[in-house]
Amino acid sequence: MLSQSSTPDALVAEVNARVGAAVARPGSRRDSIDGVAPGIVATPQTATAVAAMLAWATETGRTAVVRGGGTKLGWGAPSGSVDLVLSTAAMNAVDEHRHGDLTATVQAGATLAETNAVLSRHRQWLPLDPPWGDRATIGGIVATNDSGPRRQRHGAPRDLIIGMTLVRADGVLAKTGGIVVKNVAGYDLARLMTGSFGCLGVILSVTFKLAPVAAASRTVAVEFSDAARCGPFVADLLAHSATPTALELAIPPTTMLVRFESVEPVAVEQAEQAATLARGLGGTPTILIGEDETAVWQAHDARLFDREGTIVKLVILAGELSSTLAWLDDAAQTRQLDYEVTGRAGLGVLYVGLGGDVPRQASLVTALRERIPAGRGSAVIQRADPELKALLDVWGPVGDGLRIMQEVKRRFDPTRTLNRGRGPGGL
Amino acid sequence: MDDLFLAELERIVGPDGLVRDASELLTYESDGLVRLRERPAAAVLPDSADQVQAVVGLCHRTKVPFVARGQGPGLSGGALPHPDGVLIVMTRMNRILDVDIPNQRMTVEPGVMNLDVTREVESAGYYYAPDPSSQLICSIGGNVAENSGGAHCLKYGFTVHHVLGVEAVLPDGELVHLGGEALDSPGLDLLGVLVGSEGTLAVVTKVTLRLVRRPEAVRTLLAAFDSTDAAGNAVSDIISAGIIPAAIEMMDRTTIRAAEAAVHPGFPDAEAVLIVELDGSRSEVEALFAQVEAVCARNEGWGVQVAMDDAHRGRIWTGRKAAFAAMGRIAPSYYVQDGVIPRSKLPEVLRRIRQLEVESGLTIGNVFHAGDGNLHPLVCYDDAVDGQADLAEQVASKILTFCLDVGGSLTGEHGVGADKACHMPKMFTAEDLETMQLVRAAFDPDQLCNPDKVFPTPRLCGEVPGPYRAHPAEIAGLAERF
Repeated sequence: MLSQSSTPDALVAEVNARVGAAVARPGSRRDSIDGVAPGIVATPQTATAVAAMLAWATETGRTAVVRGGGTKLGWGAPSGSVDLVLSTAAMNAVDEHRHGDLTATVQAGATLAETNAVLSRHRQWLPLDPPWGDRATIGGIVATNDSGPRRQRHGAPRDLIIGMTLVRADGVLAKTGGIVVKNVAGYDLARLMTGSFGCLGVILSVTFKLAPVAAASRTVAVEFSDAARCGPFVADLLAHSATPTALELAIPPTTMLVRFESVEPVAVEQAEQAATLARGLGGTPTILIGEDETAVWQAHDARLFDREGTIVKLVILAGELSSTLAWLDDAAQTRQLDYEVTGRAGLGVLYVGLGGDVPRQASLVTALRERIPAGRGSAVIQRADPELKALLDVWGPVGDGLRIMQEVKRRFDPTRTLNRGRGPGGL
Repeated sequence: MDDLFLAELERIVGPDGLVRDASELLTYESDGLVRLRERPAAAVLPDSADQVQAVVGLCHRTKVPFVARGQGPGLSGGALPHPDGVLIVMTRMNRILDVDIPNQRMTVEPGVMNLDVTREVESAGYYYAPDPSSQLICSIGGNVAENSGGAHCLKYGFTVHHVLGVEAVLPDGELVHLGGEALDSPGLDLLGVLVGSEGTLAVVTKVTLRLVRRPEAVRTLLAAFDSTDAAGNAVSDIISAGIIPAAIEMMDRTTIRAAEAAVHPGFPDAEAVLIVELDGSRSEVEALFAQVEAVCARNEGWGVQVAMDDAHRGRIWTGRKAAFAAMGRIAPSYYVQDGVIPRSKLPEVLRRIRQLEVESGLTIGNVFHAGDGNLHPLVCYDDAVDGQADLAEQVASKILTFCLDVGGSLTGEHGVGADKACHMPKMFTAEDLETMQLVRAAFDPDQLCNPDKVFPTPRLCGEVPGPYRAHPAEIAGLAERF
């Protein structure tokens, strides 16, 4: 470790000199990650500048955190002090939209909303709808493999990426994959980078396969008196050849949102069939269209993510939905905690919001983890106060692959420059 | 390979699990790419993960290379044995371990055949989506290694989208579980990089697969066109209309005639045929099918056949899937390529291939996954004619160059293997390849696990691998690098 006591101004001068441009400024409270302000913030405009900056950080033993829109900086384990925040904000173009091929290459700093505004000119979109799409960037969404309700149909970033360019911790620029939708040449480093929480390299640009924008949409909102009806509703719906693009749960009160997107008569027909099924299970369905439909989805997205409080990402097997919800209700009541659940009922990917006494929250998460057999799910703390993060490992068990994950980290970033300690298993 | 080592292998897998006799080892000399042959020093047929672990552990301790293989229908020499190494033949590990219909999952050993996964669950209304043409004779372990696709991956994706988790033996003998039965296992997505790593990172001993509900309706259409350009434009128009069919396949005159001669699917005698399949809910398929028919009509498609029943649909697909084998009726030998292009470049690249056919005098058949731009040009030649095999290889390589020129890939589904390792610097820089090697080094620092595959090495390629730089002779038009 060299000159760790340098002042922010000295660091700014060092980085600017290395890059050959005025890209850095001292960090401020507004740049804080888990309550700690970084030494400096740099906003490079080119791949070469990113490479120079990372090479500098690695050579001088500095730590660096990559920031896109800053919407998910609180995710992951606390990192302690950070020397350099590397912002991708100045690299935000949609490089190429090959609409005839249904693919696009987008720079890491572009927001999802900006990206989709460009793609919509040809009635296409990047079919991802994670929280905060107006601010969340492509780089951040990919680094966290984050997705939203329409994962039911379109999958997560992992399923849509066909190529990537990145800068390694040592400043070397590399690419993987390409611009074609089918390609098995070489290792798929893009999948390795996706969901790696920025601990292996800095994503510069990503090439995705896209989806056409559907001609029509309908959403069926169903209220059930009892959460136990959700599991059978999901199973019945999927067994009846319905092809929803989203199949969401929200509790309390027990509500399900089922979205159908296709040509108009198909969306209408499937929505009506879903409503009939819901009535058969004692639910009260409403079919929504237009502004009402948009509003119900906005409210659903905002419900957990636009509020303060703990969010646990709970992944289970879809067939265990009812039993998990029953356990959760009992566990929260016993501990006198408030809770809410939203998420992908058809996929078993749920988000649990918790409120109340922090040690009791920790106790609930611990009990939840103990309940899940190895390989059959996980409970990862996605967002929490430092107090809760101090009580629990945010990631929980990573399994017996941890040693090889650490080995991959060691090869990519031997000095642990990037996102030190924040990734799964303390990577 | 010394006797002590062989005795230890025999102790692990038993006398009937060890093959050391030179004539018996002939069986394992090559995979589907028979041009490349190498006899392994020994082959073992383990029947449990414990045995695989013990064999790999032994190889690790003694620094002996090893190669895992399944049925061996691969087309890139990915399962080519190492002459001083052990070939680990996974065919005895062919048990279906768990079928979980409520959660749409199945866990199998790697030796289970692709099609047997579907057969196991079709009565419950499910199937396994990746469907390589070799699905009758290819095993899941090989599919994982190659990230196999198939005709229906346009809509449903590849093996990587359908494998939820694996149990695998790392090159040092450690048994690990990557991914799981549920989605989003915490940690690095090592499963995502293991799938498609062509057996160079680990030996997979158990695989959990995602099952897909059979769609309510399937409709298949075949249309003839007077040129591959017209057929290619129809493909672009279908995609541009916002329709993602389950499959779009194209065959040209040469492969149509070969398929007709071999399996009589009843294809029209045309310059090109397209096979378009839609699936989904009944109403959705009906609505979109009308649009596809209109697109074909607009591009002057004719001789339209709409499969009215499963038998007719099966006949159309038999014609398509038999195309490779059927080429044997037209030429004594053929060289197949697997390049990929952006689908909008289809007409342009097909024209260049046609021109190459005229220039070289070799017949080139084209059968391919048009929806995702994955070409399978079949360059026909006769081994008995002096120099023709070499010419065919050069022509095939030139087609790959066309693909790379338009931003495509060396391989869409057959893999790099031993066959295309030396081509990798045409697609990737030295830094790209070195970054991939970081993963290799993390898993297999001794490079014992399926060595000499995927990456160019001086031993394979006769020179220090690096970014492609044209030799003065190439610039002068005196030579080409293939």
